[in-house]
Amino acid sequence: MKWLCFLLLLLLLTGCTEPPAPAAKLSATGLLSTVDQAGFARATAPREFSFPRDHGGHPEYRNEWWYFTGNLQSNNGRRFGYQVTFFRFSLTPPGSVKSASSWAGNPVWMAHVAITDADGQRHLAEERLVRTGPGLAGVETEPFRVWVEDWQLDATGSTFPWRINITAREFKIVLELEGESSVGVILQGDQGLSQKSAQPGNASYYYSYPRMHTTGNITLDGTTFRVQGNSWFDREWGTSALSPDQTGWDWFSLQLSGGENLMYYQLRDSEGEPDPFSAGTLVSAIGQSRRLTPDDVELTAERWWQSPTGTRYPVEWSLRINSQNRTLQVKPVLDDQEMDLSVRYWEGAVDVYEQNRLTGRGYLEMTGY
Amino acid sequence: MVGSRLWRAGFRHQQRHVWQSILSVLGIALGVAVVMAVGLANQSASRAFEITMEQISGRVTHQIIAGSAGLPEQLFTDLRRQYPYLPSAPVVEGVVRIDEEQLTLLGLDPLSERPFRNLTLNAPPRVQNQLLTSRDGLLISTYSAQRLGLDTGSRITLDIAGTIQEAEILALFGDRREAALDGVLVTDIAVAQTLLQQFGSLDRIDLALDETQAAMLRDWLPEGVRLVETERRTAAMADMSQAFQTNLTAMSLLALLVGGFLIYNTATFSVLQRRRQFGIMRLLGATRGEVFRAILAEQMLIGLIGTLVGMGAGILLARQLLWLVTRTINDLYFALTVSQLELAPQILLTGSLLGLLTTFFAASVPAWEATRSSPQSVNRRSVIERRSHRALPWLLLIGIAGMAGGALLVQASERSLLMGFAALFCFIMGYCLLVPTLVPPLSRLLQHPLKWLFGTIGRLASRGIDATLSRTGPAIAALTLAIAATIGMGIMVESFRDTVGQWLAQTVQGDIYVTAPHSASKRASAPLPDWLLEQVEALPGVEDLSSGRHVTLESENGPVNLLAIGLAARSYRGFHFKGETLPDLWERFATGDLLLISEPYAYHNRLQVGDALPLLTPDGVVRFTIGGIFFDYGSDRGLVVMPRDRYATLWHDKQITTLGIYLQAGEPIEPLLTRIKQLAGQSERPLQVRANREILEQSLEIFDRTFTITRVLRLLVIAVAFVGIVSAMMALQLERAREHAILRATGLTPRQLLGQISLQTLLMGLIAALLAMPLGWLMAEILVHVINLRAFGWSMPSQLSPTILLEATGFALIAALLAGLYPSLRMARTRPALALREE
Repeated sequence: MKWLCFLLLLLLLTGCTEPPAPAAKLSATGLLSTVDQAGFARATAPREFSFPRDHGGHPEYRNEWWYFTGNLQSNNGRRFGYQVTFFRFSLTPPGSVKSASSWAGNPVWMAHVAITDADGQRHLAEERLVRTGPGLAGVETEPFRVWVEDWQLDATGSTFPWRINITAREFKIVLELEGESSVGVILQGDQGLSQKSAQPGNASYYYSYPRMHTTGNITLDGTTFRVQGNSWFDREWGTSALSPDQTGWDWFSLQLSGGENLMYYQLRDSEGEPDPFSAGTLVSAIGQSRRLTPDDVELTAERWWQSPTGTRYPVEWSLRINSQNRTLQVKPVLDDQEMDLSVRYWEGAVDVYEQNRLTGRGYLEMTGY
Repeated sequence: MVGSRLWRAGFRHQQRHVWQSILSVLGIALGVAVVMAVGLANQSASRAFEITMEQISGRVTHQIIAGSAGLPEQLFTDLRRQYPYLPSAPVVEGVVRIDEEQLTLLGLDPLSERPFRNLTLNAPPRVQNQLLTSRDGLLISTYSAQRLGLDTGSRITLDIAGTIQEAEILALFGDRREAALDGVLVTDIAVAQTLLQQFGSLDRIDLALDETQAAMLRDWLPEGVRLVETERRTAAMADMSQAFQTNLTAMSLLALLVGGFLIYNTATFSVLQRRRQFGIMRLLGATRGEVFRAILAEQMLIGLIGTLVGMGAGILLARQLLWLVTRTINDLYFALTVSQLELAPQILLTGSLLGLLTTFFAASVPAWEATRSSPQSVNRRSVIERRSHRALPWLLLIGIAGMAGGALLVQASERSLLMGFAALFCFIMGYCLLVPTLVPPLSRLLQHPLKWLFGTIGRLASRGIDATLSRTGPAIAALTLAIAATIGMGIMVESFRDTVGQWLAQTVQGDIYVTAPHSASKRASAPLPDWLLEQVEALPGVEDLSSGRHVTLESENGPVNLLAIGLAARSYRGFHFKGETLPDLWERFATGDLLLISEPYAYHNRLQVGDALPLLTPDGVVRFTIGGIFFDYGSDRGLVVMPRDRYATLWHDKQITTLGIYLQAGEPIEPLLTRIKQLAGQSERPLQVRANREILEQSLEIFDRTFTITRVLRLLVIAVAFVGIVSAMMALQLERAREHAILRATGLTPRQLLGQISLQTLLMGLIAALLAMPLGWLMAEILVHVINLRAFGWSMPSQLSPTILLEATGFALIAALLAGLYPSLRMARTRPALALREE
């Protein structure tokens, strides 16, 4: 779901990957499909990242997101996966619409939240879609705050810890995330410039905190569970990325038991073949990162699952890193972790096995199926 | 056998008296047409309002509304953060003009619309995107676009409170045949705020709630903001124009009543002419039932043709009336575009039924009369005349009872408008029953002067009326009703206009007034620039200033018009109070304790001097005391007046809407008018600077405009009456052909006969006119003091205008004369012997 916006563009360009959204449903798909890229900045060269400033907004780029996934465990051993994401989509370049109206020329914000209850074998997801308007959604740097209505990510001042506060219809997530770990921030791609296709500018700025220590409460069915575990935070902004023939991707973020963290995305073309711009990073326990290329990684779908909506997803994978001669088996905590929202995709908690031994946990995202 | 002869005889009769048949058809057609036209126009207006509200409201159950300043939009953010799961949508609404047409600009947030309306959601993604991003993009219904000659991509010029703005039609919505949402422009909330220059505030927040949620929200909402049920608010708005529409319906029924009475007459004579024929048929073996059915069937056929013609004419007429009705609703109540005539089946059915039933009743009486008597006596006029004279005391009794019943109904029904009309109709019917009793003494009274003037012919003419009372009685009653209706309606309109004229002259005390032409907001009139007041005050020759701020406050019971005034010394004279006021009125008014309310407001809300009146301010409800009730004919919704200082403090609104300028004594008005116009020209928005006299003229123009529909209806009633009179009188005289032949045979020359017939019809016209005067006046009294009061809350003196009486008499005489002409000419051309043999 990271590249939702790219996907959306793609969907419209290719036309029929997904049936058109029902007419009476205002979909982000529709809205974004027609957004002109002219007037927005493009990610063409590596940039100097500066924190905490870059945690804040980059309105000169068309899209941006703050993306949390994590695997948490309660004191009494119950396992939860969670996803909290804030997306910003600008419809017009900043300053191009001149009006004193607080509704004029401002971005649309979307938030997706989900929870996977491993014991209860269920996955709950919810969406919010609003425009900035008179403070309905937005991002502020000092103090740090990203919000969509009452769903919020914030900090005291601009330093860690961050707090996530989500009250959805069926669950509640209140978390505190610590960013200062031995791993710290990882700049993905070429010093944070993540090229997604051959055309210059079809790229984004992308950094991650692959292992944020997380504590807090999850409330489900009226019971509050004290939880802790690790979250993966991805941050990306850009104006355009994918090329027309890229139809979807499979994206892995895995936290392995030795302290290693692996991110790999495989872009697929219309034939379902891996795209040469697929890429990833393997980060060691002390924060040394190594780029992964398609030549280095072999992904094989091991088991397919058909969702109630009729879409088939490869929910089990084997991921082979040739240079290290390692094969990771990725298995979902629950088959049904489909996000049936404005845009339909699969995003869920997974277990990682190496030589049949549980060796890590993570999140898997699959789009374009 | 005899039955079919009867039918053929009837057909032959109609064929020979084709003019009479045409007039009968015309009478019914006109009556039906008027009822149907008013019904259809009314129904179309109501339906357009309903559909528009339905489409605008969508699935909205509740709305959050505020005072004249609107809702701060932060409230929406707070609401969403507090109750994200309550479906809510912000709405900005304003009034714009394209050329002379007034349209509603509806600003919505497409992202919040899903639970409520499909207006913005049915658009393709490209359009949705344009809607969210364009500076001036609008959507308009396919129907309106076609009507206004617009299409996707058209640039349009909007007049928004006098400021000209450009906008673009992004797309059309809805079906091309569907007039729903005609006159509504839909756009993004940002565009609406930009076009209306209304930043930071909303007009309302739409919600879909159940009762528990509503209660919860009421507790949470800050002071000065109100949660109302959409249905109640819509109903309150629809009620605004209800009285006006009821009045129109009643007027149209009056036309049918007049029409019906005249149909009755025509049918009667048509039957009576053939009494002899029916008698013979009975003697030949036709049963009573056969004769009755034949007469009825024949008359019903005429009724049916009349009704069908009336239906067609009614639909054509309705198209003309529709824009008059719409214009009046727009002038008086709310912005509404009705461009499509809805052919509501229930109205078509009601109209047809009214036409057929009226004919049925009108024809059954003479049919019954013709079959009741034994075959031999059918021929004898004297039997009938004796009988009808014997019936007079009963008619008198029933008539008086009817009138008394009407009077009692007025007393008993207190405030009900419908009961008021019922009483009016009781009263009218009662009076009409009295007419036959009043005819003999009147004709006897006129007998001597006529004899003196015209000799034997004069006497014959007057005596004939009394002698054939069974025929002349109903005819004169019908005439009386027709004339009285025109007198009554005429007096009412004239009294109203005079009262408004006098009231305006008293109220408009200033010499020059400055106002903004019209407002883009539905909540408040467009404000004047801040600097204007000081600059005008500084002009030499200006003695004093009065200022006003006109706003519409929302309440559970619909909008309340509030006028906050800063009074000049002389403007106190502008208020004329009904009944007592509280002591020290103006001192206490100035301190802000007291409010003044207009008469309609007091009437509709059952308020009296000294009562408390709570009003919703941004900081909560404030209770005021009513200090006085003043006469005001500006709005039938009513008006609440308070001092401007007090209003400014309570509502945090220092703006003014009107400025009244009082000149020093002896100061000529023209130079200052020019100077103030120059000052006003510096304003960003165009302002209107008008002299006292100009305002009076323009106000009366608007008054006349809103009363055009009443005048048109009055003309229609006159037309119905005219046709009816001509046909009834003509039939009456034709029926007496035999009598005329005898007169000719006994030596009357054609010229003398012409004189005699004309004199008689004229006499009947005159008697009807004389009898119509008291009835017309009484009708006017009821219309003015009962109907107007109940419908609009206005009380006013009624004024008897001689012009209207003369007009009515003149038209009665002309109709009567025309009616007499054809039978006498026909008689004059026929040889008496032939006529005698024929009949």
